[in-house]
Amino acid sequence: MSIEEGDKLHVVTADDISDNKKRLGKFLVWGSALILALILFIQTLDTNAYLSLGLETWRPSLYAYGLWAFCLCASQVLTRGEHGKRVLFVLPAALFVISMVVFPLLFGLVIAFSDWNLSSPDGRTFNGLDNVRQMWGDPFYWNALKNMVWYTLVIIIEYVIAFGLAILLNSHIRARKFFRVAFLLPLMLSPVAVSWMIGKSMLEIRFGPISRFLRWLASEPSADLPAILYYPGMYISEIAQWFGWASPSFFGSAGIARAMIMAMDAWTFIPFMMIMILAGLQAIPRELYEASEVDGASRWRQFLEITFPLMLPVSITAVLIRIIFKLKLADIIINITSGGPGGATDSVTSFIFREYRDRSNVGYGTLLAIVYLVIIVIAMTILIKLADKWMKPRY
Amino acid sequence: MKVDLYNAIVSAQMSRRKMLKGSASLGAVAAMGGLGGAASAAAHGGVRAEIMKIPGVGMGSPGDPEWQKVGELCMGPVKERVAEGEFKGVELTFMGLNNQNLHNFLFRGFLKPWEAYTGAKINWIDLAQADYNPRLQQSIATKTVDFDIIEMGAPFEGDTAGQGLLNEMPGWVKDQIEYDDLVGYLQPPVGTWDGKAYRINIDGDCHTFCYRKDYFGAGSITGRMNPPNTWQEVNQISKDVAGKTDPLTGLPAHGFLDPLKGWGGFGMYFLTDRAGPYVKHPDDPAFLFDIDTMKPRINNPGWVQAIQDVMDLIKIEGAYPADQINADPGTTGFQQFLAGTGSMLTWWGDIGSNARTSDTSVIGDVVGFSAIPGSDRVYNHGKGAWENNYNEAPNNAYLGWGVYVTNRVEGDAKKRKAAWSAAAHIGGKDISLWTSAYPSGFQPYRNSHFNYDEWEAAGYDRAFVEDYLGSNLDTYNHPNSLNEPRIPGIFQYYSVAEDELAKGYAGLYGSAQETADAIAVAWEKITDQIGRESQVKLYKAALGL
Repeated sequence: MSIEEGDKLHVVTADDISDNKKRLGKFLVWGSALILALILFIQTLDTNAYLSLGLETWRPSLYAYGLWAFCLCASQVLTRGEHGKRVLFVLPAALFVISMVVFPLLFGLVIAFSDWNLSSPDGRTFNGLDNVRQMWGDPFYWNALKNMVWYTLVIIIEYVIAFGLAILLNSHIRARKFFRVAFLLPLMLSPVAVSWMIGKSMLEIRFGPISRFLRWLASEPSADLPAILYYPGMYISEIAQWFGWASPSFFGSAGIARAMIMAMDAWTFIPFMMIMILAGLQAIPRELYEASEVDGASRWRQFLEITFPLMLPVSITAVLIRIIFKLKLADIIINITSGGPGGATDSVTSFIFREYRDRSNVGYGTLLAIVYLVIIVIAMTILIKLADKWMKPRY
Repeated sequence: MKVDLYNAIVSAQMSRRKMLKGSASLGAVAAMGGLGGAASAAAHGGVRAEIMKIPGVGMGSPGDPEWQKVGELCMGPVKERVAEGEFKGVELTFMGLNNQNLHNFLFRGFLKPWEAYTGAKINWIDLAQADYNPRLQQSIATKTVDFDIIEMGAPFEGDTAGQGLLNEMPGWVKDQIEYDDLVGYLQPPVGTWDGKAYRINIDGDCHTFCYRKDYFGAGSITGRMNPPNTWQEVNQISKDVAGKTDPLTGLPAHGFLDPLKGWGGFGMYFLTDRAGPYVKHPDDPAFLFDIDTMKPRINNPGWVQAIQDVMDLIKIEGAYPADQINADPGTTGFQQFLAGTGSMLTWWGDIGSNARTSDTSVIGDVVGFSAIPGSDRVYNHGKGAWENNYNEAPNNAYLGWGVYVTNRVEGDAKKRKAAWSAAAHIGGKDISLWTSAYPSGFQPYRNSHFNYDEWEAAGYDRAFVEDYLGSNLDTYNHPNSLNEPRIPGIFQYYSVAEDELAKGYAGLYGSAQETADAIAVAWEKITDQIGRESQVKLYKAALGL
């Protein structure tokens, strides 16, 4: 046993790899790569009708890729000994990621620049930048993007509420454990269930309990009531009528419909931010608060100088993850408004869903999804960089 | 028959006395069948009477044992054409739906005796309704059709028959299923492509007009004795009752319930209900596109008038219930009309059946049915002018389900015969009477299904059956009915129209004409994308031209 010099990972065996083993390893890799290339080439010819082998699927290529991946892994051990074995801890996962993420993404790009309507007898045809031009002039897509800006901005309010709830649950209140579980419940619900239970049932304009309650508020109180109840009742009724609650409508106008979608989505995901912030709050050392109390700091000062700055990294993480969730917002919208009224609640994902599912417009739908992905990646990168910059002076 | 309709009739109409009376009549009919006429006709009539007793109206919903029994009793036509064990070793794949645990489940039961007799084996692909279209489209687009027999709606004939994916129906199948026994709108060209027949019908579909009887008659809030005959009257009633009180619920009264929100393309059928009498001229087979160019007609004055009618009502406070802009057809049908909101509606048969069985329905005793109203005038697209003639054009929305055989069976005569034999068995004349009368997911679609004596003999209440099914029959056999264009991607056109209509109804376009123009532009894009030349060709084929 020896320790190789300069190898920090402490290779414990000195491999004596023979030339034959090395040759075998190289042969395996190149041989399997050749088979893969050959099969890919043959399948391409077959698909483009230069050959007529009648291959119905691309499974032969998949099997050849599997063989090549296996040979690549085996060759690592054969040619590099223990170094190769260490590589095996990562290489299969890397190959899997490549096959499951990178390849589909590349295929996605090919489809994105294609004219591919599933109903077209011509199948998929390359159409260059036509889909980009169509997107550029598509008011539905830009409208959906604009809505996404509004939806995303609401995260600021969600964050404030989540922070407040987290502080509340971090303090010594009664039934703290119960409230922690209770506040988490909305997160456990599927957004589809939320959209049906709240959007389609509780907010149903005729039978929904919320609608009934609002109508009750807007109704004139009975003249038989004692004056102490009658006059406040009248006052409440007038206010409620002024708000239009005599005939409540939750998804009838653009602004209110968008606000209701925001509220339902917020209700589902505020607990997620809350629980992250709560975990951060619990990690702040008590000594810092005790020291500040000795210095005579008020609660507000403590929050501004200790809690909020120390919570910034957690907060930024929570907000970034929330933004990612928000950008995928679709299920509630699809179930309740289908993007209406007049596109007021449409999200990019719900619009892409319609392009795909209802219109079988695979090429254009894929381009929209890819562009959205690029926008998200760029926006998130900028946000992360900015977040780093904001945090650096203090930490 | 739709499950709900069956339950409706059974729960609302049946009584023990009627049941006994029906059974007695049935026995009498069966006995008479055995006494007179040719032997085969007698056997035929005997089978019909016998299967109508399985399990018996009011005796609970039938299940697999009943389906198998019905399948066994209806094997006669199969045995006449196929020898026992003739298809031994043949394996077929059948793709269909699993809605309400019917459709494919029913077919399994019907085909078990067929499998036992012929020796063939059937593998099943069960799909939920929502998965059906993507699965079919992907199979076609990726050339991975992996089924020999498919349950399919006629609107998809453009996607399948139009692309040469289906196998032509052999002549002996037409004889076996008595192919000509179909209601008017299901007659060719439906089910045919370029003159070749592909479809074995197993279902019928149409929209009918549902109205509240308590809104009409002496002293009613409309002041009218009868329900409307035209869309002009429908709109006038909607305007007149705004602000009044519903006689049944005491809540605000409303007229016609237009769904103003999309429904995955299906919402377009409801605007078509309104537009039909304006745009479907009796001398012109087309109403959605110009036949030679596929130029959309959606922005011609007839369609624009229909959109304008809806927009007119949107402007009148109280004409629609609050939040109507967010009401899809599911809402208008089930949450509004059945619950006593609104007085007029167009829908498929589900409303008629649910009116008497749904827990949330309050209108069971006051609901009436008729064919969709007509119009005082019709737009002649060819002449580019309105004609002041009364015109009717009821909407056979969706055209119902059929069974088709794919071209995977070509080149294998034994497999082809097996596939068509299986399809013909489940689309047979006698078995279809049973599916019309009992919960199956299918509605009557043959003229022979409307022999009300058979229904009455089986124990059904004649008045209800005649009222409800009669409105369907009037629509099915109407000479100027609106039939599905059956071109590839038809639901793409509908879906994009829904998006633009939603914008128009929300006031984002300046007028009905602007809204219609936006739809026309979007439709042109779809046509160009799918291929104008092929669409024109397929459209003509769909119209039987």
